[in-house]
Amino acid sequence: MRRTRRTHSLLSPLCLLICMGIMTMILTGCWNRRELNELAVVLAVGIDSADGQYEVSVQVAEPSQMSRNRGSDRSPVSIFSQKAPTLFEAFRKITTKSARKMYVAHIRLVIFDEQTARNGIKEPLDFLFRDHEVRPDFYMVVTKGTSAKDVVSFITPTEILPSIGLYKTLKVSEKVWAPTSAVKVTEMLKKLTKTGVEPVLTWGKIVGDVRKGKTPENVKQPASFSEFKYFGVSAFRGDRLVGWLNESNSKAYNYITNKVSSTVGNVNCPHSKGDFVVEVSRSKVKIVPSIQRGEPRIQLETTIDANLGEIGCPVDLTNEATFLAMEEAARKSLMKILKDGVREAQSMGSDIFGFGEAFHRKYPRQWSQWKENWNQKFKKIPVEIKIDYKLNKIGKIISPFGNNLSKKE
Amino acid sequence: MIERVPDIGFSSHLPDNIARIHSFMGKSSDFIIREVTIANRHRAALFYLDGMVDMQTVQNSVISALLDRSPAGPITVQIIKESVLDAGEVSEVASIEASLEHVLSGGLLLLLDGFTSGIIISLPGWEDRAISESKTQSVVRGPQNSFTETLRTNTTLVRRRVKDLNVQVFTIKVGRLSKTDVAIMYIRNLADEELIQQLVEKLSNAHQERVLEGEYLEEILLGKKKVTIFPIFYNSDRPDTIAAGIMDGRIAIFIDGTPFVLLVPSLFVDFIQSAEDYYQSYIYSSFIRILRYIGMFICMLAPSIYIALTTYHQDMLPTQLLLSLAAQREGIPFPAFVEAMLMEVTFEILREAGIRMPRTVGQAVSIVGTIVIGQAAVEASIVSAAMVIIVAITGIASFVIPSYAMSIPIRTIRFVFMVLAATFGVYGLTIGLIILIVHLCNLSSFNMPYMSPIAPYNRDEQSDAILRFPFWYSGNRKTKRRQQP
Repeated sequence: MRRTRRTHSLLSPLCLLICMGIMTMILTGCWNRRELNELAVVLAVGIDSADGQYEVSVQVAEPSQMSRNRGSDRSPVSIFSQKAPTLFEAFRKITTKSARKMYVAHIRLVIFDEQTARNGIKEPLDFLFRDHEVRPDFYMVVTKGTSAKDVVSFITPTEILPSIGLYKTLKVSEKVWAPTSAVKVTEMLKKLTKTGVEPVLTWGKIVGDVRKGKTPENVKQPASFSEFKYFGVSAFRGDRLVGWLNESNSKAYNYITNKVSSTVGNVNCPHSKGDFVVEVSRSKVKIVPSIQRGEPRIQLETTIDANLGEIGCPVDLTNEATFLAMEEAARKSLMKILKDGVREAQSMGSDIFGFGEAFHRKYPRQWSQWKENWNQKFKKIPVEIKIDYKLNKIGKIISPFGNNLSKKE
Repeated sequence: MIERVPDIGFSSHLPDNIARIHSFMGKSSDFIIREVTIANRHRAALFYLDGMVDMQTVQNSVISALLDRSPAGPITVQIIKESVLDAGEVSEVASIEASLEHVLSGGLLLLLDGFTSGIIISLPGWEDRAISESKTQSVVRGPQNSFTETLRTNTTLVRRRVKDLNVQVFTIKVGRLSKTDVAIMYIRNLADEELIQQLVEKLSNAHQERVLEGEYLEEILLGKKKVTIFPIFYNSDRPDTIAAGIMDGRIAIFIDGTPFVLLVPSLFVDFIQSAEDYYQSYIYSSFIRILRYIGMFICMLAPSIYIALTTYHQDMLPTQLLLSLAAQREGIPFPAFVEAMLMEVTFEILREAGIRMPRTVGQAVSIVGTIVIGQAAVEASIVSAAMVIIVAITGIASFVIPSYAMSIPIRTIRFVFMVLAATFGVYGLTIGLIILIVHLCNLSSFNMPYMSPIAPYNRDEQSDAILRFPFWYSGNRKTKRRQQP
């Protein structure tokens, strides 16, 4: 009797519940409770290469400076940097300097210096992807001229947190300015693992007085002593930096990879001095691969919708011929940009546009032969550009002011 | 040990009867024995409890009638009953036990010398609370009256709304000492007859000493097997809700002495519905119902989600929000869980105090409470401002649940979820929610699955579950709860 009762009680819901509770405790691995005030929230990471070691600089938000009633004029962020042969080691070593554990889930920006980028960024990326805490949604930037540490410790206007400032600048300018291209870490990784397309990273540099830019003085007057400016994209081959694309060439890159959501372009006026500005509202480039006599060819079919944004030359817009001439001028100017961009990329031997991938899709058999020495092939590939340029709206006024005045006289 | 009245008849000798009744009733000062002589010949005695009978009517219809209108000829119990007394409810009894029971619930016992049977005149009349507005489930539009403590008034309030000859009322006495009248009201052909039989059987076999409120019955009816914090019986003090309930084919249980009437079977969705849902436009009512579900989830989960996110899953917060929460937590000495517990317990104390305290000191408590929770705690850096917001929204959300019976379990399991969130984070919350859902789906209210019509899903009944469809669509009833033809 007693025996049966005992077995019965073992199966009781309460007993099951306790068993389940114990199991949940034993079987899970996420026992890492941390209060918010035990964390140092890392917002930006700068990675420099020096003497065969990595120097990691982290920008950590000072929460006490974020509240509305902050008492002192302490800096809103703190910078910790540490040298170590590997990234992980460096991160752990930083705790010898900081009172709190580095919390890396909220990294907004990772900045590489030129040397690290040229040596290859696979190793740092491996850590950033492998660590379970890191959320892979940060932007990556290569800095030219200055060290990544300088950029991380740089003080930006407008935003209290410099890294948020740099992050938002990149995000906003990507939307409205064609040369800027923001690259998220996932995109970078995708391109690293693919063949037929080479990755790019945004590059920028500090313009102005670097030393003063790191002091609060930088933002104590309306015009700051120095600024961090994004210039364009830098081309990689594999995980190594091979060259910087200037503003115009970066623009070509963004056009060809269909990353332009809106931008403005400066065009010389036909038949007269001065410039007019077009605002591109829609652009679409189709990469059409073909094979002629066993050699690859690329055709770029471009469709552009643009509006007139500003006119700096005396033209009569009521005349259709003038308008068409302007459209043609804009077309030619874009053609030059694209041609130059492609040529520049070819001279670097880095297929950042993904021509290889287009061949891979359309001619998989040939591609398997070309795959090995694609970079050599890419350098010599003939690129034909076709542009269908449409100028649509001219804005709220028709002809420029000066024209009407001269007519009246 | 309570002495039971032996089941014996009356003797034909009146003084014997008086002595016997006296010995049973003891020397209570409110027990009145009025001896009269009818038509100058017959001795008779009236027994009643002072305050339980309507004295005015006793005077006019019984005492005056006996003294003035008694016929000159021979007098028998039959004659007195049929032609002298002009009260409405008159009956003959033979046993002392039965007659005393009537006396105890507001009747008069009339014994005539020389007869072995007595006459019971039922003239209950006592001071009662007037019908007033519902205090627990008020509405803006719709009937404003509510039940009182008197059983008959309550059944009448429902009957006046359902004037159908199929409306049936059963009354049984439950409680060895309290002998409370319990009435079961239902509509014949609509309600489940088997279930009514079950209820009556269980109630008559209950060996409860007292029944003062519906909860006593709920626990008798549910028995030992079902352990749950969720309400299985819907209760309401609104006659319109109960009338709608019996028209849905449910069974109403009235308990004498309490204005709260029970409805069975009851489903989870019933507790999120309010009488006013049917008195306002269906679009608005559906919207408000969704809002109530949201409120319920906020009440149950808001503090635990906050704890889980800020102590385990900081990566799930937007960066700016994380930084602003972190800024608020600077200098707070307690972990988020302790902080939340502190505030939630304080809030529950304030609420309990608010219900229980004398009305006159209400003002003071609410002012002190507001200042303690809101201002001072934050300024003293004991809790963070974000936590005050969380606690405030939780507290307010708990009032959105229209049935107090449902807000109790929701508020209680909130604490369980807080513990789960503090030990296992969102993982713990998920486990907790799964257990909760399994438990809810496992419940049934008198053979009906508690979560129906959501689980098991029934498309035809969705018209009045989470949303309220217009009356032309749904035929304004919850079809399934009616007995299947």
